[in-house]
Amino acid sequence: MEKQDYVVGEYDVVVIGAGHAGCEAALASARLGKKTAAFVINLDTLANMPCNPSIGGTSKGHLVREIDALGGEMAKNADKTFIQSKMLNKSKGPAVHSLRVQSDRRMYHIEMKKTMENQENLDVYQAEIVKIITKDRQVVGVKTKIGATFLTKTIIVATGTYLKGKVIIGEVSYESGPDGVFPANDLSQSLLDIGVELRRFKTGTPARINIRNMDLSKMEIQYGDEKIVPFSFDNEGNLDIINKKQVNCYLTYTNKKTHEIIMNNLDRSPIYSGKIHGIGPRYCPSIEDKVVRFNDKERHQLFIEPLGEKTSEMYIQGMSSSLPEEVQIQMYKTVAGLENAKLMRPAYAIEYDCIDSTNLKLSLEYKGIEGLFFAGQVNGSSGYEEAAAQGIIAGINASRKIDGLEPFVLDRSEAYIGVLIDDLVTKGTNEPYRMMTSRSEYRLMLRQDNADLRLTQKGYELGLISHERYLKFLEKKQKIENEIKRLKNTKVKPIEYTNELLESLNSSKIKSGTSLAELLKRSELNYENLKPLDIDRKELPDSVKEEAEIEIKYEGYIKLQLEQIEEFKKLENKKLSSEINYEDIKGLSLEARQKLNKQKPLSVGQASRISGVSPADISVLLIYLSQNNIK
Amino acid sequence: MSTNTIAAIGTALSNSGISIIRISGKDSLNIINKIFKTKSNILPNSIVYGKIYDNDVHLDNVLVSYFKAPKSFTGEDVCEINCHGGVQITKEILELVLKKGAVLASPGEFSKRAFLNGKMDLSQAEAVINLINSKSKTASRIATKQLDGELSNKIRLLREDLIELLAHIEVSIDYPEYDYEEIKIDNVSVLLNNKANDIMKIINTYDQGRYIKDGINVAILGKPNVGKSSLLNALAKYEKAIVTNVPGTTRDIVEETICIGNIVLNIFDTAGIRDTDDVVEKIGVEKSIKILDEVDLVIYIFNAEEKISDTDFEMLSKIQNKGIKVIAAINKMDKANKSIFNTFLNELKRYDINEAINMSIIKNEGIDDLKNTIENIFFNQDLDFQQELIITSSRHKDLLVKSINYLNDAKKEIENGNPIDIISIYVKKATSTLGEIIGCDVNIDIVNKIFEKFCLGK
Repeated sequence: MEKQDYVVGEYDVVVIGAGHAGCEAALASARLGKKTAAFVINLDTLANMPCNPSIGGTSKGHLVREIDALGGEMAKNADKTFIQSKMLNKSKGPAVHSLRVQSDRRMYHIEMKKTMENQENLDVYQAEIVKIITKDRQVVGVKTKIGATFLTKTIIVATGTYLKGKVIIGEVSYESGPDGVFPANDLSQSLLDIGVELRRFKTGTPARINIRNMDLSKMEIQYGDEKIVPFSFDNEGNLDIINKKQVNCYLTYTNKKTHEIIMNNLDRSPIYSGKIHGIGPRYCPSIEDKVVRFNDKERHQLFIEPLGEKTSEMYIQGMSSSLPEEVQIQMYKTVAGLENAKLMRPAYAIEYDCIDSTNLKLSLEYKGIEGLFFAGQVNGSSGYEEAAAQGIIAGINASRKIDGLEPFVLDRSEAYIGVLIDDLVTKGTNEPYRMMTSRSEYRLMLRQDNADLRLTQKGYELGLISHERYLKFLEKKQKIENEIKRLKNTKVKPIEYTNELLESLNSSKIKSGTSLAELLKRSELNYENLKPLDIDRKELPDSVKEEAEIEIKYEGYIKLQLEQIEEFKKLENKKLSSEINYEDIKGLSLEARQKLNKQKPLSVGQASRISGVSPADISVLLIYLSQNNIK
Repeated sequence: MSTNTIAAIGTALSNSGISIIRISGKDSLNIINKIFKTKSNILPNSIVYGKIYDNDVHLDNVLVSYFKAPKSFTGEDVCEINCHGGVQITKEILELVLKKGAVLASPGEFSKRAFLNGKMDLSQAEAVINLINSKSKTASRIATKQLDGELSNKIRLLREDLIELLAHIEVSIDYPEYDYEEIKIDNVSVLLNNKANDIMKIINTYDQGRYIKDGINVAILGKPNVGKSSLLNALAKYEKAIVTNVPGTTRDIVEETICIGNIVLNIFDTAGIRDTDDVVEKIGVEKSIKILDEVDLVIYIFNAEEKISDTDFEMLSKIQNKGIKVIAAINKMDKANKSIFNTFLNELKRYDINEAINMSIIKNEGIDDLKNTIENIFFNQDLDFQQELIITSSRHKDLLVKSINYLNDAKKEIENGNPIDIISIYVKKATSTLGEIIGCDVNIDIVNKIFEKFCLGK
């Protein structure tokens, strides 16, 4: 019987998918007052973590804090549900300190679902969207598998790895989304029908093993930090978080025997037999990739991470694989502590449809289709944090589109989010894209500790930061400024007491009055060990002390980066109209003309980052601009 | 759109085999017809053989190619004269072309016209970049293909090592928990030192390159009547010497360009040494010092019969402060006691004199010595110009100097005990500065290197 089509509702924003991108997108647009509907194939997989049960890490932790400063949810949800917390890179400079937590995967889902359910303006539905309805290159609605139509002004596609998802384990493969959920098989065709180009990427995940079958005594214990720093700036000083009891992770290694089994069964790996066509990421190679590519390495690290407090499932980080299950069983059992392992879920590879992110604008709207936004893994990124970062930006921009406002775009000097989106949209990616601190030119400015100072103002102006939180932020900012001023103005006299203390800290004596700020710049001195010399010091929150110390200690470098940023902004501020037909600019190389016409960059700076656009082409553009200004 | 016709020498001004004079503009062919006699017809996109005449004087046998607008480099009518490569003859022909109605092209003007006519050749981009004087990083980056392959390769090798170092640093930052081999800070210092030395070697070739391409800038200084003009005349008359004095083709302050063997000397006008022979007195020490900013070599002449004066000493210390090379020419030795030379040497000991020469300019004695000395000072005998890389672009030199400075900054941060991510800022700046020469994106290179070298992942 022909199924009945019917209209169920009318919305401003429809979000397809409720993973980490979809949740942030839906919450942002709903919080901006837009009537929003979020669709997920199975409501029990909302904000699921189908891979590692952790949030944050190097550069990803930065993203989470930036999302938080803009009024997003990920940091808060991570604070509610973490079971271990660690500040990575503490032995290195402040720019690369990175917060990472192990999350209770199930609790993370439950808490996020609760937040979504209680969000004003937001409706959450379990339904598979099979069709995007457009009219005159403008989206007007979506249709569900069972025939319901939802009318909408904008759509955010956040389908993660679900689009035509295909799971591959050795010789076996089947259509599936991650974690055994149905894939979205029909939406791909609908996207193709409206002119969206699709490509195929691949990723993978290791096995989950019951802790009951592990011999933890053969592994090294990995503890969390003694002093916990919350993710959300809103939770600064929150004792429930700071005093939370933590669980342990464990470290073990592969060995020669493991590698032997892998090498002997390489012909059964779908990657080596050619069964997998999708492009996988270099930074998360499967264990078979590692063994083949780094065959001189005698062992590889494996981190054993709990999936939650109320489960015995452990995630084996470092051992993702697409070998047949029987090979996997042999392979895992060679590892110290895993001799009796039982694979609760085997490792698998998954292939999925995604888009070419260079077809997007920096607002994350698809070029040429009004109101169609994309966010998350479907854009060719990987990682929960990268997805969430795009989600909040897409949510904001869908809302602004409806209001007829300029898109909200962060540039490379403002945020890792800016680097992420500019990399995806301008440079494009040929493999699932992972954020890294080395991708940022202005790392010293884009620290995780100052994400609130960088972005809260913007979040407030957007309407995503409450007035109450904004006032709290202003107060913190003032405190930091005052403390910096005080440290610069407070002089220490070169008396015996002072110099004895300095010597005891392996620091050279002072001969004349020296400001505390001046002393703080010495690498062997810090805010804490200078305390005996700082008589007037008042008790301040940790975050204020930290910020003041960093600002003073790294003043010179920060200044250097600010100069670089100024240089960078010059080209960013040279705007290119979308009206320019680059075919008309004869001086450009053929490749540059095509790329520029396809991408229509907003500025000369953006143009300069497009691959295939050479410095010479940029000179031509600059001349073209200066000539047009004369006219 | 420009209406005048421009001309310039398109090849380096040295005694090479062939030089090219390029003329662009609507009068190009007219001008050629006035000075060029041939038995063939001059057709577009063809090369014809013939003779260049200045009125009745036969100057050279040349090849002339004609490119008709718009199918030319600039998009205008273009003629190119391939003449024999002597400095003298090339300049004479250019002078003739200018006399017949062309205007001397300003730097980058051919490229500018090429661009304006939609004929922009990417290999000329750098000239255009200079033209618009853009200081931006991207704009001043240079396309790889435009570069001399050798320089690209050398820079690439240098960068490769730095990028590998950066990959080691960055992997420890982005993957703090992995068991890669931790980088030793001492090794970093050593590597940075080595790279700085390698870059220095390239920079040092810059001056040599310039000496070959543009000649050595020379000032002849000394008290009145010591023999400055005699020396100039003696050099000009020297066997095989070619003296030119073409207005506008060289810098205004160059009095003469003299070519001796393989060496081109641009003798600076120190207020007309020919007329007064009274330079220091006439224009004053201060003004002479300004000239010192431009010169590579001072030939300081002393009269063997006179004592070194305070003015001489003052000048010598100024010259020394500028780090300019100095040859002391002790003139009129024929009239003095031979032992005087040693007295001079003794007195000049406290100055950094590169060489002292025993001369009698009037008798043409010591000129050979002078020539050989210049050759020894400026052209390192070990350097084989056919093999070694020589840089000639000041932009490249500036970038190389900049990158050395960043490497030194990085070393300083290591000494100050700063964390690795701070050190990495400077190494990255040094690497990206090198990359500006060949147009590479340092961030992408580092990420690629990390994945190539290290075993990471879930």
